[in-house]
Amino acid sequence: MNNNSIADYQVEIQPEVLIPDYLVGEIRSKLAYVDESITQAEVSPNRIVLHLDPFSQGINVDRKAEIIHKTQQVVNSMARGAFKPKIQVLEDHLDLRLPYQDDPMPELAALGEVSQEAEGIFTIGPLLSRLIDFFDRQFVDLANSFNAEPRRFPTLIPAQFMERVHYFRAFPHSLSFVTHLREDLEVIDRFSETAACEQGSLNSPLESFARIKTLLSPAVCYHHYLALADKPLVEGKSITTAVGSCFRYEAINLTSLERLWNFTMREVIFVGSKEFVLENREMARQRMEPFFKVLGLAYRVESANDPFFIGEFRKQAAFQSAFQLKFEIRALLPYRNSTLAVGSYNYHQDFFGRNLNITLPDGTPVHTGCAAFGLERMAFAFVSQYGLDQKQWPAFIRDAIK
Amino acid sequence: MPSQTDQLLVGEIQALLAEAIQVPVETVTADLTFGDLPQWDSLGHMEILMRLEEKYGVEVNAETIARLVSIPEILQFLKENEHE
Repeated sequence: MNNNSIADYQVEIQPEVLIPDYLVGEIRSKLAYVDESITQAEVSPNRIVLHLDPFSQGINVDRKAEIIHKTQQVVNSMARGAFKPKIQVLEDHLDLRLPYQDDPMPELAALGEVSQEAEGIFTIGPLLSRLIDFFDRQFVDLANSFNAEPRRFPTLIPAQFMERVHYFRAFPHSLSFVTHLREDLEVIDRFSETAACEQGSLNSPLESFARIKTLLSPAVCYHHYLALADKPLVEGKSITTAVGSCFRYEAINLTSLERLWNFTMREVIFVGSKEFVLENREMARQRMEPFFKVLGLAYRVESANDPFFIGEFRKQAAFQSAFQLKFEIRALLPYRNSTLAVGSYNYHQDFFGRNLNITLPDGTPVHTGCAAFGLERMAFAFVSQYGLDQKQWPAFIRDAIK
Repeated sequence: MPSQTDQLLVGEIQALLAEAIQVPVETVTADLTFGDLPQWDSLGHMEILMRLEEKYGVEVNAETIARLVSIPEILQFLKENEHE
């Protein structure tokens, strides 16, 4: 760190367009990807404050001007001509009296229930693990109510497949790439003799690594669509369930169990006609509602959109919202008086059917949808509302996780 | 049988749509519906809506995005809103 003051590492920006309230959060999360030196972004409709890393090199007037320019680009792209989403609320149980109001992370860390290995990478202790297993059993019960076939999917997914479903265009910012050392004895020998970490990063030259053909999977259901690709769906419908590790890089947004780079999702996946998928998606929501109510979870289910990257955000988010393709289960986090998506009920229309050439017996593309539940987030939301003192928990959960 | 005014308007819509989703106008039939052509996907749809907004003053909102999913629907909407 040099002799500059804190103010030298702060940039205040007046956006060229007013940021609508409904875009403040979306824009804040996207500013994380504007420049590597940004460590925090504060956003309000007419003011943005960026905090820059005091250890990053070359923060001078020119660099700041560049960061301001890129920030304005992001805001203009997302806010200019933005379509106001029409939020539809299907369930609203936010107004509950809850026994816990604090941020549970410090207590979780003190009790060894979470241990951070790196940004967005946490190990989970015994109590949270039991809670996660408990929630997963409820989601498996949901899957069983549909006679869903269980499947196991890998953590890795081919880059070629992600290209076919336009993932690179829609969510480039959240991709996680996988490689290995090139099959070259000299390269491997050199690596074994010289590899070391400098400030957490491997010092090996990029040429040592093979070209990237594989990614870490961002969702569970993609594997099922990949397995069905390029052939007719003979029975005309399929319901499957699987649990798996998912990876979405979220830069400086990776701060606690709220946002993990490496997290676990349970999905119930529907493939078939439009009516079949929509009917089952709705049935999944209706079947989960009594559980969330008995659990005493403060939450609501409302229409939402995926976090598309800047260039596609405005159009894709408006489209998803208008067609009500996504409904999120948003649990209250009392300590910050906001909500966190712990699951979602999704309908993809015939997007995967068309792009992966999966057809119904009549030759038309299949429609797909899924109910997806983030297991770590589910447990985190619960302890955010009920704390870690099990005496405060609903009795049936205490009994279930003994 | 559609009136001559309707036929002219359908022709305009076909041309607008072909330009928006970058396909030859011959492929845009008078009853074309969202998803009939791979180019009329979610992004293509929003491009069409924005061009309709520019040309006819159609407001792009949740209702129009969900409703204007075929050329007959677009025609009907423009007629209801007295665009010529």
